[in-house]
Amino acid sequence: MQSASVSKICALIGGLTVLALSPLAAQAQSKTITEWDLQTTTGGAKILNDGGARFEKANPGFKVEQSHIQNDAYKTKLKIAFGANQPPCVFASWGGGPLKEYVKAGQVVDLSSYLSKDAAFRDRFATAGFSTVTFDGKVYGIPAENTVASVLFYNKDLFAAEKLTPPKTWDELMNVVKVLKAKNIAAFSLANKNKWTGSMYFVYLVDRIGGPGVFAKAAARAPGGSFTDPAFIEAGKRIQELVKAGAFAEGYNGLDYDVGASRRLLYSGKAAMELMGTWEASTIKNENPGFYEKLDFTQFPTVPGGKGDPNAVLGTIGDNFFSISSTCKEPDAAFKLIQSLTDDVSAQARLEDKRIIPVKGLKTSDPFLNRVMKLVSEASSVQFWYDQELSPNLAQVHLNTTQALFGLSITPEAAAQQMEDAAKAEAK
Amino acid sequence: MTPQDTQMTVPSVEKYKSLKAVMPIVVFLVPAVFFLVVFLLYPLISSFQLSLLDWNGLGTGERFVGMANWLRLAQDRLFWKALGNNLELAFFSVLFQMPIALLLAVVLDEASKGSRILKILYFLPLLMSSVALGVVFKNIYDPNFGPINGFLSAIHLDVLARDWLGDPRLALGSVIAVVCWQNIPFYMVLFLAGLSSFPRELGEAARLDGASETTIFWRIKLPHLQGTVRTAVMLAVVGSMRYFDLIFIMTDGGPDGASELMATYMFRTVFSSFQLGYGSTVASAMFLIVTLVAAVTMRLTRRYETEI
Repeated sequence: MQSASVSKICALIGGLTVLALSPLAAQAQSKTITEWDLQTTTGGAKILNDGGARFEKANPGFKVEQSHIQNDAYKTKLKIAFGANQPPCVFASWGGGPLKEYVKAGQVVDLSSYLSKDAAFRDRFATAGFSTVTFDGKVYGIPAENTVASVLFYNKDLFAAEKLTPPKTWDELMNVVKVLKAKNIAAFSLANKNKWTGSMYFVYLVDRIGGPGVFAKAAARAPGGSFTDPAFIEAGKRIQELVKAGAFAEGYNGLDYDVGASRRLLYSGKAAMELMGTWEASTIKNENPGFYEKLDFTQFPTVPGGKGDPNAVLGTIGDNFFSISSTCKEPDAAFKLIQSLTDDVSAQARLEDKRIIPVKGLKTSDPFLNRVMKLVSEASSVQFWYDQELSPNLAQVHLNTTQALFGLSITPEAAAQQMEDAAKAEAK
Repeated sequence: MTPQDTQMTVPSVEKYKSLKAVMPIVVFLVPAVFFLVVFLLYPLISSFQLSLLDWNGLGTGERFVGMANWLRLAQDRLFWKALGNNLELAFFSVLFQMPIALLLAVVLDEASKGSRILKILYFLPLLMSSVALGVVFKNIYDPNFGPINGFLSAIHLDVLARDWLGDPRLALGSVIAVVCWQNIPFYMVLFLAGLSSFPRELGEAARLDGASETTIFWRIKLPHLQGTVRTAVMLAVVGSMRYFDLIFIMTDGGPDGASELMATYMFRTVFSSFQLGYGSTVASAMFLIVTLVAAVTMRLTRRYETEI
């Protein structure tokens, strides 16, 4: 009798063990790959979700967990995840300075070997697409989303009504500001709570005034390079000239780009232009298709006496880049996931969403996209965003001093000096 | 049994007894002490340790720099400005929140049963998430489309329309107004609870003696509430010194540091500039300052201490 009860207990324990193990068994069957990105528009998120689904279908046994996170919150979340050593397997970034911090800490997988194994995949992309994710000759990211140039968007109807043409030179721009101001319309809509928005004006002005070499030399601490170069100081002066002329819609330093404060000004006709990355076109098309019909863009104007090429652009070839974190248990599968997220189907879908993944030989009938592609391919140089190119610390100094320039609370000379001091301190 | 044996056993019984008395104390204290050590003491000590490093918080690139971060902090104008802003927030929080909350509490307490709906209505702001509230007020303050400037121009008072969040002189004040609006209900509830223990017969007796309602409030109710008011002032001051959320959402410390607080500055240093070492210095300094301010406030209000 006793042995019977013992065997019963054994059976019970056995049964429980099977029960307890069965979720484990299920887990072993489907491995999870986490992926984080910052595509929060309906179109952008869907393309990535579809890419994830294609990967799951082609690789049974893997499950993809995707999170699409709002721009500014994303930067913080990623930093915390890396700091806690629990980053997602696959993550999007802008390349440049911040990605380099993670690379320096040994937290990002070198993708060079994957790319040399699959040369066909690598050669699909424009070579320039890898420049912001290559450190010491090793590639750490795959260009994923868009080819972006920062351009001067403007409201065609408004310009026509005021008999204005898009400004090609600084003097024309100041005239546009004056004419619109008289009609109580701001020339520019700017949401500068976010700071990187105002930074674009500064970067373009430095490029137009001093050419691309000024920043490159100052950032690399090359001989003769300095953030107190006259080009930086003049850029600050030009910004303050615009501010004093009333070029920016009221409240610019407190408006939030992430909640659409600057676009609202364009839609309502209270502002005529916005300097913004070309991604804005797809945002506007999603948000306000009616206004999209009135939208056109032009290049940033030239500055008298400037050494820069009027065709040089500020932008990025790739926009977002997918990388794999070192803690990822399945890097091979993660790379396959990245391939799915950047495959031809997704490239086509992105075209329809007004975005150009930097893949060679991409054809579209969309005149807007063709103009962007032409703009970038004909550009004598493509300057990357300062706040992403610089180290995170210098980037903050640049963003803060530029916001202060817009607020007229710092002189261009003092702003340049602060930047130079910070760069010197960091180089030590 | 020898006499020696009995002598041996007596102290051990006493020991056993005292152990028996101590055990429950230990057992009941262990969980609390454990959590305090893990979640309070350990982070505190490690953030002091981190404040001596030059480190981006990733991997193993840390460098010991001794007091360099603290010296930098002492000369950091933005930090001192942030501290000033914190003090300003604390001052205006106490100045506006306490009287308004007290007034609401007294009125609602008088109205008693009839005021139940009002109580719920006044309590609502506290129930909203700060993030949602921040976004709503960002729109209300919008200089071009916001209802405030819209209203001002509708009644031809355009001269009063301002760039509420973008003007460095106004940004902090604009956010403080929202902070007060959000927190008044909390202190209102606190005062209501205090008033509920106010003995009715005291008021009735005073009324029989011919005291007016104002006299009853100033001479009887307010002294009765002094312990509660002290607690409320403490909470408001300490809360203001470590305030973070609405500032972060509405202005992000801007423009040009005009509304920067110690906590937002610490956040930016760690998460945007990737300076975990210096950020920890800011956090540690913040801890010291908050402790100091709390101690001073407690000392200054000691004579109002009563049991609640």
